[in-house]
Amino acid sequence: MRTMGLFPGCLVLQRMPQYEKATKRVLREVGVHLENIPDAACCGAPLESFNDKWLHFAAYNLSLAERMGRDMVTLCGNCTNVLLRARAALDDTSLRSEVNETLDKIGLHYDGRVEVRHLVQLLVEHLDELREKVSRELPIKVAVTHPCQALRPSELARFDDPLKPQAMRRIVEAIGADVVDYDAEHDCCGSTLYLADERLGLEAGRRKLDSAGVADVLVDACGNCQLLLDRFQGLLGKSSGPGKLAVLTLPQLLGLAMGIDADDLGVGPATTRALLGSSV
Amino acid sequence: MSGGEMEALLEDCTQCGLCREVCIVERLGGHSITSFLCGEEEYSSWLCSSCWRCQEVCPQGVDIHSIMMEKRREEEPPAGHELNLVNVLRFGYALPVDDSVNELRRFHGLDEAQLIPGEWVEILLQGQE
Repeated sequence: MRTMGLFPGCLVLQRMPQYEKATKRVLREVGVHLENIPDAACCGAPLESFNDKWLHFAAYNLSLAERMGRDMVTLCGNCTNVLLRARAALDDTSLRSEVNETLDKIGLHYDGRVEVRHLVQLLVEHLDELREKVSRELPIKVAVTHPCQALRPSELARFDDPLKPQAMRRIVEAIGADVVDYDAEHDCCGSTLYLADERLGLEAGRRKLDSAGVADVLVDACGNCQLLLDRFQGLLGKSSGPGKLAVLTLPQLLGLAMGIDADDLGVGPATTRALLGSSV
Repeated sequence: MSGGEMEALLEDCTQCGLCREVCIVERLGGHSITSFLCGEEEYSSWLCSSCWRCQEVCPQGVDIHSIMMEKRREEEPPAGHELNLVNVLRFGYALPVDDSVNELRRFHGLDEAQLIPGEWVEILLQGQE
């Protein structure tokens, strides 16, 4: 069993334990044990639009993983993007020494030895193990939405096609489910846009959900996508009942296919029934 | 940033408009940094979904992200972004932290989160303008 350091990010840590627990449970099945990185803070993203201290936050988090001796696993696109860019920026030795002067004050140091992997990247490296663990057929149509910021900029992300990503599709196909095409597959969910303009952000989400409606479930791999597409569905007039599209995080879907109890994946009874039918 | 530095960032832009074509904000009727790059005056550097498609498709390798970040520091921030900033400055997280964080985690059978100590947040922010 390989151990890695989990960086859940603010949203998942504080609001979406379901995504975190499903991730831990499913990765254990494929031979990866996740330990939360103690003292981890915000990745730094919200600071970048205002000042350069975002780099200190990112470096701080990287140094915590380095202290554990673990590579880092991320669950959100935004955190992944920021940490990867910080990691690249800190290859510059003079910038690194400058940041280390701050980290030294709290007894930390960053040497540039930590790898950052988004969950999708880690899972696509374990397709054979995933296939072996499937114990339940899911005869459902799945729409996937890709974590934009974990794929771009491609010179740093590198593990997938940056404009027509395939990794999530391959992961869902590995558990035997049917991945459907839909027009808005490559469009952003609207979550970050919502911060600047609620109407435009929700409109992006509405278009995505309408387009993904050809599927039985929409699957994401980012706290921001899950926030806008699932939790904000109510704001789009799709709060409940037959109008609501089931939206799961990727490990929740994988866990259901592995026969893991829905409670252990944080999947509610209505969604479980809708996806698994009478086989539950 | 000086005007000269911004000019250097913009130097390779040919205003071909590919960035604007792939921008979801533009498709939704808003005007993002890609409108600025195409020479328009009506845009907001904050209107962005952070999807990075514009930079990915740019044939000239223009660092659109850096241009946008510089422009943001000159423009009034929207309330949502400002709230995230205030939370990070105060708690070290984009969302406010209280006891309910670990209650929710315990309910889901997860270990309590060990959060960043407040004095470390201050150290990381030292010298902030």
